[in-house]
Amino acid sequence: MAEPGGPDPAVSELQRLVAAEQQRAQFTAQVHNFMDVCWDKCVDKPGSKLDSRTEGCLASCVERFIDTTLSITNRFAQIVQKGGH
Amino acid sequence: MLRACAVRTISLLSMRGEVIVPHRASCWQTREGRSRRRAVCPEPGMEASSPAGLAATDPQLQHFIEVETQKQRFQQLVHQMTELCWEKCMDKPGPKLDSRAETCFVNCVERFIDTSQFILNRLEQTQKSKSAFSESLSD
Repeated sequence: MAEPGGPDPAVSELQRLVAAEQQRAQFTAQVHNFMDVCWDKCVDKPGSKLDSRTEGCLASCVERFIDTTLSITNRFAQIVQKGGH
Repeated sequence: MLRACAVRTISLLSMRGEVIVPHRASCWQTREGRSRRRAVCPEPGMEASSPAGLAATDPQLQHFIEVETQKQRFQQLVHQMTELCWEKCMDKPGPKLDSRAETCFVNCVERFIDTSQFILNRLEQTQKSKSAFSESLSD
């Protein structure tokens, strides 16, 4: 039931679904990325369960990775601003 | 022990968000004589008895493709896990796979799944607290 002259609600619904799926895929890709990085850093030899030291290392790994990404992004933004166009 | 490990590996497939979508086989061209070289797509009322009946509406073919795709993804996962766990668990290859290495492989797969789940939860937590996170990482 498209209103005359207005956006088709079915199309916008589809767009919304596609955007949600894209976001989900992006999130999943991020998780894989983190896995690659943090598995090497934090797991030496797999034990019979995930011990507290490894869990702590994984939590730190995720947060430090995010901090690093943010600080590098800010640094680049600064450089671009100072450089001008 | 390895069998239980395989069951967990299959659950890892779904956890990785790999959605198996039935692949729509495109209508194939028949090459029976030059006069019939055209794309043959079954119409709604058409029987699947002709050679060109193997088309998009064949549920058997679709199911087969689904199964094969899943098998391929599973094999891919097994290769990836073998590569990872070989580095962690294999020191020096001996004359046979000793029980210690076998236990380590089982632990390796399970810890991998636990780690993935942990990171997933952690990321969700961090996303909720820091809203700027998703903006910067989406670039």
